[in-house]
Amino acid sequence: MAMQGIPYSEALRNYSVKTFREPAGEVQEPEQLLRSFHPDYYPGTTVTLRVGVNRGDACHHQLAEVLQADARIDEADLAGAAIRETDVLVIGGGGAGCAAALVAARAGARVILTTKLRLGDSNTVMAEGGIQASIEKDDTPQMHLDDTLRAGHYRSDRRLVARMVADGPDVIRWLIQQGMQFDLDKYGDILLRRAGGTSANRVAYYRDYTGLEMMRVLRESVTNSNIEVLDYSPAVELLSNEEGHCGGAVISSLKDYSYTLVKAKAVIVATGGIGRMHINGFPTSNHFGATGDGLVLAYRLGAGLRDLDSFQYHPSGLTWPQHLAGTLITEGVRSAGAYILNGQGERFVDELETRDLVSSAILRECAEGRGVEVGDDIRGVWLDTPGLELRNPGTLAARFPKLIQLGKRSGIDLYHQPLLIYPTLHYQNGGVVIDENGCSSVPRLYCVGEVSGGIHGKNRIMGNSLLEIISFGRRAGAHAAEKSHRRGHKKVSIEHVSNLRRELTLAEMPMEKQGPALFPECAKFENDSDYDGLRRNRKGRP
Amino acid sequence: MSEKTENLVKVTIDGKEILAPGKLSTIQALWHAGYPRVKSVGCLEGVCGSCRIMVRRAGSTDVTMELGCQTLIEEGMEVSFLVFPTPSHHTYELGEIRNSWEVQAHFSRIFPEADHCRNCHGCTVSCPKGIQVERGVELAVKGRFREAGELFVECVMCNFCMTACPEFIAPNHVGIFARRVTAYFHIRPSNLINRLEKLRRGELQIRDQ
Ligand SMILES: Cc1cc2nc3c(=O)[nH]c(=O)nc-3n(C[C@H](O)[C@H](O)[C@H](O)COP(=O)(O)OP(=O)(O)OC[C@H]3O[C@@H](n4cnc5c(N)ncnc54)[C@H](O)[C@@H]3O)c2cc1C
Ligand code: SF4
Ligand code: SF4
Ligand code: FES
Repeated sequence: MAMQGIPYSEALRNYSVKTFREPAGEVQEPEQLLRSFHPDYYPGTTVTLRVGVNRGDACHHQLAEVLQADARIDEADLAGAAIRETDVLVIGGGGAGCAAALVAARAGARVILTTKLRLGDSNTVMAEGGIQASIEKDDTPQMHLDDTLRAGHYRSDRRLVARMVADGPDVIRWLIQQGMQFDLDKYGDILLRRAGGTSANRVAYYRDYTGLEMMRVLRESVTNSNIEVLDYSPAVELLSNEEGHCGGAVISSLKDYSYTLVKAKAVIVATGGIGRMHINGFPTSNHFGATGDGLVLAYRLGAGLRDLDSFQYHPSGLTWPQHLAGTLITEGVRSAGAYILNGQGERFVDELETRDLVSSAILRECAEGRGVEVGDDIRGVWLDTPGLELRNPGTLAARFPKLIQLGKRSGIDLYHQPLLIYPTLHYQNGGVVIDENGCSSVPRLYCVGEVSGGIHGKNRIMGNSLLEIISFGRRAGAHAAEKSHRRGHKKVSIEHVSNLRRELTLAEMPMEKQGPALFPECAKFENDSDYDGLRRNRKGRP
Repeated sequence: MSEKTENLVKVTIDGKEILAPGKLSTIQALWHAGYPRVKSVGCLEGVCGSCRIMVRRAGSTDVTMELGCQTLIEEGMEVSFLVFPTPSHHTYELGEIRNSWEVQAHFSRIFPEADHCRNCHGCTVSCPKGIQVERGVELAVKGRFREAGELFVECVMCNFCMTACPEFIAPNHVGIFARRVTAYFHIRPSNLINRLEKLRRGELQIRDQ
């Protein structure tokens, strides 16, 4: 276990606001730092998958558990279920799903968009920092590509990154055409800021509300189109045709507690990330529905996954007060010049290093007794907001309205007292293997956004995710619509679930757990009698 | 700082009496007490507008509209969750407005009720984000869309103002319309346009091998 840190009250007494503090200098032996302190390398975190296309690959044990879980439904649940047909079915109402649906519908396809809760309840709406696009005159798409590959430790799919960075400027134009605003300078040019680990100012933003602005505009576009939206309707299984191609999905309704089969010529999965699985027991910055459902759905149908052992822990999650643990403080605060200090008041890492290194350095300080200790196993380091304000008066109020709100809710005056931070589980670096149109290895199954893998390698830079979701959302939407003149499927079923059960039995795997999870444990969905109608056939299973 | 030393607070949420630490939000309190809660939960950070609640505080007869993830429980508070915000009956496509001279005409066609605002303040009073909603509607009716939109920067589309409006104006959708037309017709950044032009001419090739 980690060494006892410096008690909170003592560390606070030792803290004083200063204009100058010695910089920490470059990280010595970055690989060593990651190996010793990054949670991806904690001993015993990965296991080998025993079932499915990725059999033999390393995978985080919590993710392995859901990938190799039993299905939530079987044939009996579908008896009497309503059947619908469409050209394109989009699963997930965040940024990626809305972009895909809009493009597909405008290209003439009939589109149904189904989403777990309210349309727009997503990680997208929470994004603060901004979206990357090489726009500045001394920046180029090539530099954007190089930065992305370097930050991802050269483990990205280069072709995907090349498409994404080339799309960047047009993605911004497309968003403006949907009615999204960006912060502009006095001549009307887009303002850009720098992300940690990059070589140019490349992040476009709207205050610290970039995701909110993006999501409410996309939601408005979708609800004002001919896309049919099914909200409060989580998908619980994909459908397959005789050849094993994707043929739609089984949707459950939280409104009338029934199942519907939606047959589709193409399915676009855009279900986002896994934060609420609390990988390695970390708190998370993610929204309530981020339970990795899309990975489970796609894997069962035979789609290949990648980098299942790589997650992003954002360096600045609030850790105290405890009821707000995990809440994100945008990297923008460090971009603006805030320092990170240990319990002795020293800087210990270049604050604008890549996220994996900064997080690992924080974990090192805490493990070696230089962190600040609140008790009950809660520790962290300081984010020096008073120092930032002293060096750049007015910055906090002008640029970080959301952060000031957070200070108020924490009962901490961030003009005079630093915030206690600790890494928070933020992003799933890996996901479903896709090509440049978002196609997975299963015909007619597309996966876009955070659920997909390959773009960020082993570490993502701020702003590349919002770019990815629109870039690949649009690509998949266009490609799926183009194919929608094909004939529909004759017969669709959940036959692949029987195969899964056979494989699980052969591998002597436990079958108690069922997936996808749909909701985090704290919400007790499985015990909620309101939803008994969706579990009628559970008990009778062999 | 363990739970024992903290004061517990008694609240009633959806008819259930709950004892929980006072630092918790209404949603956290429900979970803390072991009750399931799935609907009306979203970002848990006050930006998605899903967690709509009606609140009555001890000793008061006033009922306020709030966001469940942002409201901390207080002794004697009564809370009920609302579900499924309803969509607006107004529809439009930005693409059908041919140029910015026509925005106001289209606005009157899309939102004919906005002209009938009775200045009842219902929308402004109900807004959990403190937005001057009524003023926003008034500015939009006058065609001052940029100014109107600026008021809605923090709008989370919780629809409280829409429910409160006796004239079915859908004031939040008026606000988002105002913001969207401002971007659609008036954001023309030269740095972006210049970059798009260079890409079009093929001047910025990427080595993708
Ligand atoms: C707090 C925070 C701040 C961030 N800041 C930035 C930033 O500044 N810049 C940046 O680039 N990135 C940022 N990110 C990352 C980025 O926001 C996300 O990676 C991105 O928005 C994901 O988009 P998405 O459309 O793939 O998924 P989401 O936006 O999460 O949408 C997924 C949708 O699918 C739905 N869904 C899930 N399961 C099911 C199911 N079984 N059936 C039906 N629907 C389902 C969900 O409810 C949700 O609506 C941030 C993330 C967080 C959490
Ligand atoms: S303006 Fe209306 S929709 Fe927006 S936050 Fe206020 S009450 Fe909610
Ligand atoms: S609630 Fe409706 S009628 Fe009343 S002030 Fe607001 S917009 Fe006008
Ligand atoms: S849960 Fe999103 S605003 Fe409360």
